[in-house]
Amino acid sequence: MTTDATTPEALLPKGVKDFLPNRAAKVEFLQKTLLELFHRWGFRPVLPPSLENLDVLEQGLGGGLREKTFRFDDRQSGRLVAFPPDITPQVARIVATRMQNLPLPLRLCYSGRVLRHTEQQAGKDREIFQAGVELIGLPNAEADAEMIAMAVEALQDLGTPEFTIDIGQVEFFRGIMNDLDLDQATLAALRDAIGRKDTSGLRQLLEPLAVSDRQKEELLALPRLFGGREVLERADRVVHTPSARRALSNLADVLQVLETYQVDPYVTFDLGEIRGLDYHTGITFQGFLPGLGRAVCSGGRYDNLTARYGRPLAATGFTFNLLNLLFALDKELQLPAARTTDVLLFQQGDNKRRAQQLARALRRQGYSAARDNYPRGLEETLAYAGKMDFHYVMIIGSEQDSVKLVRVADGHERQISIDEIEAGNLQLDPHRS
Amino acid sequence: MSDWITFALPKGRIMQDSMELFGRIGITCPEMNEKGTRKLVFENPQQKFRFMAVRATDVPTYVEYGCADLGVVGKDTLLEQGKDLYEPLDLKFGYCRMVVAEPKALRGEDDPSNWSHIRVATKYPNITERYFAAKGIQVELIKLYGSIELAPLVGLAERIVDLVSTGGTLKANNMVEVETIAEITTRLIVNRAGLKTKHRRISRIIADLEAVIADEVRISP
Repeated sequence: MTTDATTPEALLPKGVKDFLPNRAAKVEFLQKTLLELFHRWGFRPVLPPSLENLDVLEQGLGGGLREKTFRFDDRQSGRLVAFPPDITPQVARIVATRMQNLPLPLRLCYSGRVLRHTEQQAGKDREIFQAGVELIGLPNAEADAEMIAMAVEALQDLGTPEFTIDIGQVEFFRGIMNDLDLDQATLAALRDAIGRKDTSGLRQLLEPLAVSDRQKEELLALPRLFGGREVLERADRVVHTPSARRALSNLADVLQVLETYQVDPYVTFDLGEIRGLDYHTGITFQGFLPGLGRAVCSGGRYDNLTARYGRPLAATGFTFNLLNLLFALDKELQLPAARTTDVLLFQQGDNKRRAQQLARALRRQGYSAARDNYPRGLEETLAYAGKMDFHYVMIIGSEQDSVKLVRVADGHERQISIDEIEAGNLQLDPHRS
Repeated sequence: MSDWITFALPKGRIMQDSMELFGRIGITCPEMNEKGTRKLVFENPQQKFRFMAVRATDVPTYVEYGCADLGVVGKDTLLEQGKDLYEPLDLKFGYCRMVVAEPKALRGEDDPSNWSHIRVATKYPNITERYFAAKGIQVELIKLYGSIELAPLVGLAERIVDLVSTGGTLKANNMVEVETIAEITTRLIVNRAGLKTKHRRISRIIADLEAVIADEVRISP
């Protein structure tokens, strides 16, 4: 093994990468498909900057993201600035400080990149591609359901063969926990065991504690309250704490809307899911594909966030992690994302005028066309066309009124009159053999 | 393939114990019993179960990344690696304790409450660091991969953090336990996405195992 300083790996910092045309086309396809869907649901784009003042950004960051933020000195102002680790706090800031005069609700969407520090040696990305939406000003279950229905439709639009949107409700957990009269360390230990669904550990922790049998039963039920909609009925039988019961009825309301949107077959429930607890205030959800350990999308209600920027508003939203999607759907995206070019125009000799004219005519008709103005023979040009995903090579030869069109896939040739091309009668069908 | 359930199991004794336990809830893999096989992946196509034999310390990684839906691994490995996993079940076998130990000669005049800066050899640097940090003790860690008991004998470190089951190895090397850090048993771990996307099969496995385990305490002490 050689460790040459100029090997490609050493050119880039860990956790970031170059995307060459094939993969870049897939990322572009993901962004385009998601933004189209967001627009279809009435969301309008915002473009936050990729630098923020650290003190302002931090107001909107949950505890977990604060340590993951890239920060440094701004030489112009002497302040600390940061690359955002998440776009949602930026949108919250924009909504609270820049959009006060607009009527509610606000439907906003974005697609962008964020940076996060990650643990070393875990093969994890430090640059994350996000595409998501924020729905501001609606406190109701229909708004929560809208987010979940959009996430389902997005995964359908992307051709995902199998997935589930797993729904939690942090107020359910919070309701049960707030009912306990215990010190912080014990509550943290209980929370940790519930987060890992560690029933055995939870039972051990609970044994010596002075909590009622009813509360013990509620807590012990939490790690197992996951699965289909039957979970809501099971929870209904076990849980008596009033605020937890309110959370349950909120979930039932959301489910009803999901049924109307016909996306209920794609959802599961997990009432012991407490990720994002310091940020979210109601429904939370994450999208999972079989065989991929990480979630491809995540979201939920965050009614306290915009208040940190001075304007309390109900809010809900979600974001897709495009690199997780890319990893999971690599094969499925091959065809729909393929970036091919229709025609490569080849002309020998010094005068390339006719090739340039024809290229212009083709582009004006909506075909993609590139000139092969490179010093090489026809054979090499054909090989080049095959490698670079061109469908046809157009050979402009000595004939004055016609050109030869070669289909790259099978070498099939035909002669076409220039009048026909200029009249817009050219029919290219690259997929027929 | 996505209706299959994949297990990551540590090669060796725990794999045998696990398969014995799984056998009692009807999960079997005849392919695994072939003599002299050097395969790493075994399948039961009728039941749609797949079993991967991996190193114990790699089990959480395979499960975290979703290459396996379920895994069986010691709590020591989980504590050390701190991965984002579900661990719904204590399988109750492979019981041992993680302890701080030191040479008998040192123990005589030593008082752990006076420790302020100590040198510790261990296979578990994260657990060790967390444990002593919580007590406000600075540690200089020496990460070793095996035969930890050797370290104090040759002056590499005064103390060690390691697993003991019977205490025989410590005794043979003239060492004594000072403190217990944690009680360790074998755990069933589950990938987050697997639990959500295959919740019916996985809930069933957890419930069945729980029922079997409740009947007894330890398979192998």
